[in-house]
Amino acid sequence: MATVNPILDNTYDDAGERSPLILGGLDYAGVTDEVCGIWEADKPPKIWFVVLGAAISLLMVLGGCVGHLLMDGVGVWGNNNPAYWGWPIVNFVFWVGIGHAGTLISAILFLFRQNWRTSINRAAEAMTIFAVVCAGLFPGVHIGRVWVFYWLFPIPTEHLAMWPNFRSPLLWDVFAVSTYATVSILFWYMGMVPDIATFRDRCTSKIGKFVYGLLSLGWTGSARAWHRYEIAYTILAALATPLVLSVHTIVSFDFAVSQVPGWHTTIFPPYFVAGAIFSGFAMVVTLLVPVRKLYGLENLITIRHLENMNKIIMATGMMVGTAYGIEFFIAWYSGVPYESYAFYNRAFGNYWWAYWIMVSCNVLIPQVFWIKWCRTTPWFMVIICVFVNIGMWFERFVITITSLCRDFVPSSWAYFHPTWVDIMMLIGSFGLFFTLFTLFCRYLPVIAMAEVKGVMPRPKDH
Amino acid sequence: MAEENKNSNTDENSKLIGLVAQFDDPESLVQACDQARQAGYTKTDAFSPFPVHGIDPALGIKRTILPFIVLGIAVGAVFIGLGMQWYTNGGSLGEFSTDESPVFPGYRFKISGKPYFSLPANIPVTFEVIVLSSAFATFFGMWFLNKLPMLSNPLHRISRFKRATNDKFFLMIEQADEQFDRGSTEAQLNEWGAVSIDECRRDLTDNNLPSWLRLFALMGAILLLLPPVAIFRAMGMTSRAPRLHVVPDMDWQDKSKTQTVSPIMMNDRYLFADERVMRAPVDGSVARGQLDADTELYQGIKSDYVPTVSLTTPQGSVRTGLGTQDEAETAPPAEDVSMYVTEFPKEITVDEALVKRGQVRFNIYCAACHGYAANGDGLVNQRAVALAATGKAQWTSAKSLHDATVSNAEKNPLGRIFETISNGRGTMGPYGAQIPTADRWAIVAYVKALQETGIKPVVAVSDDESGEGSEANDTDEPATTQEDKTQPTP
Repeated sequence: MATVNPILDNTYDDAGERSPLILGGLDYAGVTDEVCGIWEADKPPKIWFVVLGAAISLLMVLGGCVGHLLMDGVGVWGNNNPAYWGWPIVNFVFWVGIGHAGTLISAILFLFRQNWRTSINRAAEAMTIFAVVCAGLFPGVHIGRVWVFYWLFPIPTEHLAMWPNFRSPLLWDVFAVSTYATVSILFWYMGMVPDIATFRDRCTSKIGKFVYGLLSLGWTGSARAWHRYEIAYTILAALATPLVLSVHTIVSFDFAVSQVPGWHTTIFPPYFVAGAIFSGFAMVVTLLVPVRKLYGLENLITIRHLENMNKIIMATGMMVGTAYGIEFFIAWYSGVPYESYAFYNRAFGNYWWAYWIMVSCNVLIPQVFWIKWCRTTPWFMVIICVFVNIGMWFERFVITITSLCRDFVPSSWAYFHPTWVDIMMLIGSFGLFFTLFTLFCRYLPVIAMAEVKGVMPRPKDH
Repeated sequence: MAEENKNSNTDENSKLIGLVAQFDDPESLVQACDQARQAGYTKTDAFSPFPVHGIDPALGIKRTILPFIVLGIAVGAVFIGLGMQWYTNGGSLGEFSTDESPVFPGYRFKISGKPYFSLPANIPVTFEVIVLSSAFATFFGMWFLNKLPMLSNPLHRISRFKRATNDKFFLMIEQADEQFDRGSTEAQLNEWGAVSIDECRRDLTDNNLPSWLRLFALMGAILLLLPPVAIFRAMGMTSRAPRLHVVPDMDWQDKSKTQTVSPIMMNDRYLFADERVMRAPVDGSVARGQLDADTELYQGIKSDYVPTVSLTTPQGSVRTGLGTQDEAETAPPAEDVSMYVTEFPKEITVDEALVKRGQVRFNIYCAACHGYAANGDGLVNQRAVALAATGKAQWTSAKSLHDATVSNAEKNPLGRIFETISNGRGTMGPYGAQIPTADRWAIVAYVKALQETGIKPVVAVSDDESGEGSEANDTDEPATTQEDKTQPTP
């Protein structure tokens, strides 16, 4: 068992020496014990039950709202002329964006050989999948008649007797998001198999042995298996990297391919991807700070990990801020009066409050991460990251609602009013997300033990 | 491991698979692997909680073919992705059209003049198909090449081996190896620094499936077959019962269809005396914007006119007088011409714009029969007259509006022309529903303008006079209409 050393500050950069990725002098068994300890404990901490109970309550609210929606139709939402895309698409883009940080950590940082990713990638990938589940819910129920959802796919049915329109960005979205969800699950599960095997080998209960035995597929850690596994992992990372960029690019096409002023811009794909990573990292920090505190994982998820993520948050936040500025420049430079009006209206029209919430939360507030104390103090960074996610939700709100409410026909201009179903579904989607995440923390390996061990300094390094 | 089995590879209860040596750190494992390979062992494997650097060359592991499998699948996916979109949406290359060939026509809608199939629009979906197929190929290919899932493995029976997924490192030399010898191999392993050595034995006593499992699986399979069999049976049979409607959508709605009996009952009697679903507006109700109280503007009848006898509306004659000649002349003597206005209503300002407007409307609605110059020689009229001459049709010739009965302001005041356009006359149908009120007055103005130009029928005039007639025509009407008149129509 590892002896808990006083926590070192590993946030100093010394050119002559790599900062340790893991603190507390943990050896291989120590890493295993720390991570498995979460799941081997007889009872999870009380707060776990509180969080799970709250999350399940919200999940039931969500279920009630979805049931109400299915029985009564999409008219229970506030979507109406001219804002036919209301909160559902705002929530969809918000959640799918959050998912992107997980893939970035697991795939892109893997390809760049950023070893610090190993402590956080498992939880971030889980977050990706749960966020994509939440995201998929909204367009899923938005189609109205969910029982014919398969019309979205090119499946021959006599009922419809027609193929989907492959020239529509909305169909690209179906392919992109479903591919993304599938590949994320494959990647997540494949990465987890060696750790599930660890669970299997330590498990004492019969049910646990059966379930984890099944899920670990008989993994033994054979060198021949590891060889193919590592290559497969690299290929999946190489596939997931362009995939994650393509997903939010295609999500942005939903807007950019249309002609509405404020949507019809070529800056959308990079701007959306940067915003997605921005919000996703904020969510990872928001989740991991309480988790590491609760489960005592400070030696594995160190302050340096959090600091690195905060630096990425600041960098992507400034990219998003640049995009906001460029949008205004292009609106002026294009000389198109509709475009100019759309952006003037965003900042100073009747949705000015949403626009300035967005700018404050996304551009101004993350600037505090220039100060080292701010980016190395866990409770403080959580507050900042919650603001970032509020800001990113408002970014999607601003893009969707302000543009639709001021389209080409002034006679149809209107002010969007969400209904209580809109509001409860957004809140309820957090219930779905946190239910899944809380269960994940309890029953699956929160940290990729095998990967952490792979980047640890060797006990007998020559 | 049981002591008595130590020196026999196989007994009746178990079979020796190999020797498993434990090492405490990755470096010793790599060294041991290297030495095992140099000693000539080939059927070896190492086990570690994480991929150990340098173990592949130490064990002599060849590079996997997995990347090439994925590449093959990915290249195939390019064609599958593009082909799927071409088949379902495009298919308009040259003469080939998916409209006729496949089962489903697809979305062959022309949008902004764009082609049905174009590469840029089909790249995103193709890309996603490539990524999805490659990811499946990677994931399933890896497990397949690793011969996993393998849920029963004798290695898991070694208690020490449980730490292979935690913090210990193992090297196994299989009994199947040619170099393998129970005693000397164990000695070698010890020499290479093994911390402990275990036998891996396959238990031969419980190799068979539980006897109940086969029966259980068979019954399960049969039960699973029942639903599809039932579905296919139902699909292949006829039935008098209505088909199963799982999702009603909006097929049954709580509403009444037009022209049906009202279901609303009260005291066992229909609530509405006429029993109809469709209800007429309440007497005296006026639809929004349709209060046409100003008779001068809307009917062409003087506002101070008081009918002496009950006003017979001319509508009665519409489309019923086929065959009657010149309805205006044989009109009932009761018609009081004095009731029609002789001036344009005050809402209508007669100016050039109005006449121009009237010309456009006249050419659209009236010229087909009356002709562009109002000589009664429109194409429809010509054709109908020709047909009537052969006895194939009955036709009352369209009137020339230069006819004295029409142009005479006393016999045919402005209001009566307006009324004729609105409600029709003789065989002429009513145009009140097609042409708005103001446009009908514009046509009246244009008709009066045409009559003022004094174009005469060209039947009896020579070519020269015909030319003069054209010059006298102030309007833009082409003279060709008059020449057309002389041409026989087929």
